[in-house]
Amino acid sequence: MPSWSLKLSALFITLFVLAGSFDYARGHVKNSSAPLQPPIADGAAASGSAATASPGPTIGPLLTTRPGQRVPATTPGPRLTLAPGVQSASLAPITLTHTS
Amino acid sequence: MDPQLFVWIVARATGVAGYIALCLSILSGIALRTSVLDFLATNRALRSLHDFMTWVWIPLGLAHAGSLLLDKTAQIAPLDLVVPFRVSYAPLAIGLGTLSLDIVAVITITSWLRRRLDDRAWRWIHRASYVAFVTLFLHALLSGTDFSSPLISSISWSAALGIGLLAVSRIFFGRLPE
Repeated sequence: MPSWSLKLSALFITLFVLAGSFDYARGHVKNSSAPLQPPIADGAAASGSAATASPGPTIGPLLTTRPGQRVPATTPGPRLTLAPGVQSASLAPITLTHTS
Repeated sequence: MDPQLFVWIVARATGVAGYIALCLSILSGIALRTSVLDFLATNRALRSLHDFMTWVWIPLGLAHAGSLLLDKTAQIAPLDLVVPFRVSYAPLAIGLGTLSLDIVAVITITSWLRRRLDDRAWRWIHRASYVAFVTLFLHALLSGTDFSSPLISSISWSAALGIGLLAVSRIFFGRLPE
């Protein structure tokens, strides 16, 4: 086999892998099963400054996204609907559910 | 496309492609001197391929390292590309890649200076490519974002298996003389 054909084949394989993995990475920007999930530098800095401004307890970001990545739409939580005749009362909320 | 997203995608793509190019380089190098494949020993095309692949994986490796430097999320400092196990998060997974890069750089530079080196010393340094490959594979396994993809995983494992088989056959069936 001539030398140039071997080189060309190897180059073609490498370029094919490069193009294929580029396309794959573009389609799968955020991989939740990736072994490394580094903290986001800008996000961490931003949340750090916000934490100093508000003294109350805060929770971290539930979903980390890279810049330019589309944020998936969040689904609304379950809503409580009351019958038309039911009205709210100014009583203390019932927190004890134990019955003897 | 956002520049930060672009460098992140480039880092991942060049990482996979660089790994494959380096595998082809190592495979062609081992095949040249394995007694099981003695019919390839005088194959100038294979020798030429082994030399040529250096010029394929070097730009891919540089692009991989360079794009990770530019990626703010990766948080890789220039010193992390030379000194392994310095990164604040996942130091082992990333440090193995740095270690592999260091070993491969030494092997490549000593190969370019082969005529100035003692032949036996050069050969022992060149054998460090097995260590470099193992560290590279572990780096890909422990930190590769796309390693969970069945296709990329199968390609990576197949290349590693090929190198492993040739290395084992070289141990058991011997090495061809220069």
